Amino acid sequence: MPHTRLAESQRTKAARRDHLLRSYRPLAGVHDELVTPDGAIRPQWEALLDEWTNVTPDEMTRRKAVADRHLADAGVSYRIRAESSLDDMLSGERSWPMSHMPLPISEPEWRAIEAGVIQRASLLEAVLRDLYGPGRLISEGALPAAAVAGSPDFLRPMKGALGPDGQQLQIYACDLGRGPDGSWWVLGDRTQAPSGVGYALENRLAMARAFPDLYRALNVERLASFFQGFRAGLVSGARRADPRICLLTPGPLSETYFEQAYLARYLGFLLVEGGDLVMRDDRVHVRTIAGLKRADVIWRRIDGDFSDPMELNAASRLGVAGLLHAIRQDNVVVANSPGSGVVESRALMSFLPRLSRKLLGEKLLLPNVATWWCGQAEERQEVLDRINDLAIAPAFRCDLIDASEGDHLLMSEQDERTRAGIIAAIKTRGMDYVAQEVVKISTMPVLRDDGSLEPRPFALRVYATATPEGWRVMPGGFCRTSDRLDARAVTMREGARSSDVWVLSEKPVAQVTLLPPPDQIQIRRLVGNLPSRVADNLFWLGRYLERAEGVLRLTRTLLGRMIDADARLPGQQEAVKRLSGLLVAWGAAPGARTPPLRQAFAALHGLDHYGSAAACIREAKRTASVTRERLSVDAWRLIGDLTRRIERSNDDLPTEGEGYETADRALRALAAFAGLAEENMNRGDGWRFLEIGRRIERAITTCRFARQFGEAAASAESLDVMLDLIDSQITYRSRYLVGVAFHPVIDMVLFDEYNPRSVAFQIARLDAEVAALPKMRDDGLMEAPRRLSLKLAADIATSRTDQVDRSFVLTIEQRLMNLSEAVANRYFLQAGIDAPGRKA
Amino acid sequence: MLYNIRHITTYTYNTAVPFARCVLRMFPREEPGQNVISSELRLTPEASERRDSICFFGNRVTTLTIEQPHRALSVAVTSLVDVLQRGLAGLDLSLSWEVVRRDAVEHGGLEPSSPVHYLYQSRSVPIEPGPVAYAAKSFSPGRGMLEAATELMHRIKADFVYDPKATVVSTPLAQAFENKRGVCQDFAHVMISGLRGLGLPAAYVSGYLRTIPPPGEKRLEGADATHAWVSVWCGDGLGWVGLDPTNGIMAGNDHIIVARGRDYADVSPIDGVIIGSGGQSIDVKVDVEPLG
Repeated sequence: MPHTRLAESQRTKAARRDHLLRSYRPLAGVHDELVTPDGAIRPQWEALLDEWTNVTPDEMTRRKAVADRHLADAGVSYRIRAESSLDDMLSGERSWPMSHMPLPISEPEWRAIEAGVIQRASLLEAVLRDLYGPGRLISEGALPAAAVAGSPDFLRPMKGALGPDGQQLQIYACDLGRGPDGSWWVLGDRTQAPSGVGYALENRLAMARAFPDLYRALNVERLASFFQGFRAGLVSGARRADPRICLLTPGPLSETYFEQAYLARYLGFLLVEGGDLVMRDDRVHVRTIAGLKRADVIWRRIDGDFSDPMELNAASRLGVAGLLHAIRQDNVVVANSPGSGVVESRALMSFLPRLSRKLLGEKLLLPNVATWWCGQAEERQEVLDRINDLAIAPAFRCDLIDASEGDHLLMSEQDERTRAGIIAAIKTRGMDYVAQEVVKISTMPVLRDDGSLEPRPFALRVYATATPEGWRVMPGGFCRTSDRLDARAVTMREGARSSDVWVLSEKPVAQVTLLPPPDQIQIRRLVGNLPSRVADNLFWLGRYLERAEGVLRLTRTLLGRMIDADARLPGQQEAVKRLSGLLVAWGAAPGARTPPLRQAFAALHGLDHYGSAAACIREAKRTASVTRERLSVDAWRLIGDLTRRIERSNDDLPTEGEGYETADRALRALAAFAGLAEENMNRGDGWRFLEIGRRIERAITTCRFARQFGEAAASAESLDVMLDLIDSQITYRSRYLVGVAFHPVIDMVLFDEYNPRSVAFQIARLDAEVAALPKMRDDGLMEAPRRLSLKLAADIATSRTDQVDRSFVLTIEQRLMNLSEAVANRYFLQAGIDAPGRKA
Repeated sequence: MLYNIRHITTYTYNTAVPFARCVLRMFPREEPGQNVISSELRLTPEASERRDSICFFGNRVTTLTIEQPHRALSVAVTSLVDVLQRGLAGLDLSLSWEVVRRDAVEHGGLEPSSPVHYLYQSRSVPIEPGPVAYAAKSFSPGRGMLEAATELMHRIKADFVYDPKATVVSTPLAQAFENKRGVCQDFAHVMISGLRGLGLPAAYVSGYLRTIPPPGEKRLEGADATHAWVSVWCGDGLGWVGLDPTNGIMAGNDHIIVARGRDYADVSPIDGVIIGSGGQSIDVKVDVEPLG
């Protein structure tokens, strides 16, 4: 009976709800998002829980797995700040911790937040325009000069650089917390290069994929229009139609590199490092394989002070020499403007209520956490009088106080000595400190492993962007929850999780995507010009992968011979010796006295041998990680897979059979990568450099096989090994009924253009790809790499086996290396950049 | 006193450098007490682009681009500068350092000479406990600002050894302080760190010293290279006063000012980027000739 089933399902829903809420106990004295002080569930949560409890526990498990897989597949990761070397970075990756329970916010409440954030963005924009412009706030006494001068982000050369109408902030973020009385407070401003917007987007995509029904039923507002507005704002600032927009990253060591790569791909911006950019004629250009291309807009994710070594921090290698001059000449738009970070300081926060009244004639809609800058005598005294109720924090820099919990020192928790030290410091250099009211922020529910909810403090980062139509706020945000109940500890470093933020619209929301209307889409088959650095990395990715393949083939063949029943025959022993000799020569294994099994083990796993498969794969992963925005999710996953196959945690020697198996599996993963590149990568210049790298390396490797095993006097076993190494046993047997002989084998290895593993095959492909690379000469002459590849292809195609000896093969090998160098000289970045030494 | 100054810096590279861009801060600044009659640059090889400007702190800055491959770069600046008698006329020496400290942080402007720029730690001058404690000994309660700062300068002159081999440009301040050895740049940075740690504004001045001493006087340290000293803010009345801890004297007629800033990083004579891969060597010659 339907009636009973309904009752039944309601009973089930009630049971699920009870399970969710069974151990939820809000903290005393703080606001809780889920329940009111008298124990009622708040309406926006009521709506969410009603949908949430429709999902069966099994289904819920599957959905969470969908979300997690989405995040893991996209390689979502973040890095802790202390990590400095690339190795640390690669090993330090973790999957992104996302709590599956979103934070719902009702539409009316959101409109109030939105208005407050827009007001604050406008205020900070006005403050910046004044500070870097006429300076009235200071001359009229609204702001003490020392409260500005102390900020390392007050970049003096930017004074007057933008002109009165130049936009200072294109993107602004504001960290909010909800106080005990239920109203939202501003905890901090982010005006330098706000991070997290990509993580918010990524969280949203994961949640929308896992919970599409909830997402639709609750009318969750979409994020795409925010990004559309952001892009439109950047475009409108540029001086050319169809401008080239670059995201300037500090590089893969940056804490938020993944986010930057992700956003560049999502927004269609070129991801560049400082070394990719160069000034010519007071304009910024990107070095690409087709020469210098103008950069019109730079979204910088490097600190302002690092953006120009000529006028700012001379030690910076992250920026572009001459950038500030280009800004002054109005030849480039940099968002946010270098120097915009000055209004992030806590010292400035204490003046914002006053500045709002002065500049906007309005009260702040979202109040600050009460802040006192101790540079002023009166405020300092006030702070000293009640210091035990307050938290002390650096006014400008973060490295001033030794505080284990974020950068605030809660005075009531300090011992007498620390307290005396802080008081003395404030009396001497009060301008370095602020005091802040200790605010307890509200808690929201997060899911425990058993599927029930528990309260955790959180901070909400909200973003605004300057669009041609004015400020637009992202309906949602980046919400970080603490793992502890301490309502002040909310930094990502402390192992906190994030949540998606759902603004629940009161009516169905319009579908917005980043796609323009169909009639505005211009058909393009290839996108933009490849930056030289990216070409360089893809080339080396190809070479390292192929080098790993060569080592794996050698090792597999070596182990195969050792397993072989005939291993004792003199010919076989000779073959084993030659194989292990090649591994040693390639730097993959330790020297001659080491037993072959130990050598094979080193060649597979030995990271301390630079030529080992493990070391080559590590290098491949490194080059892949810095071109991640160019690689598909599948390609990235295969590289991870490869690393796992070759990693070995202990030093126990495996058996020959195990080693053989490892090499074999790794070779299969490599074949999968090659197949993926072949089938799924666009035949653009990126693919071309990967291909050129692979072909050059494979041709060189094969030449080396030929030199080691293919002498005219080589034994049948040696020739047999060579057929193994180039995977051509079956072909050979089917073509030649006699046993292995020098001429047919060497033809198959060097000249057979039908054999995809022959040197001739590699060179023919190389020549075709090199011919397709962009040309920069305007005199009609052939570019240097093509001259080399064409000649080499012709020579190989017209050679015969009776010409072959060691020196013949060696010459080919050297010509291949010359070709590699010619490609590098012509298309990649030249040399390093150095500063002349200095001495007073 | 009229001076003819020749300052020649030569870089020699092991491999050819195809492209270089650099910033020079080598032309003496025009300011009260110092009249720059002429100042000329000779560059080998020639620059393809040159831009002259005045930076935030009022120093003359020249940006150069060299686009022809070169194995040596020579930067030669010749200046004719008239240094007028800098004296401390009509002083109010009674201003205590505590009053100066209060007035500095409350100063109401961001003009280049405003004390607020020189109050905080800067790129090359962190505020270190060592130098601060060292400086504090001269600043007893109520003592006159200039008197205390002058004593600090004399103590540095007495306690530190001038030793060009002890440090390089990048030697951290703490190390120079610990070893009590270094050159003018180190002494200036130590003194600045100490003063700022007490909440007092101190600036870094780069320039030259006359090479040939007046008859019967000893040759001053640092005369064969560029020199550096400290400028201390002594309140609105007295303003900025130059103190040279390397020589233990007030900056006067023998000091020619090139640039002022918060520390060496603001005024370093040559900064730049070159594209090239080999090593390099550098040679600096300074000659300051008094013309009377």
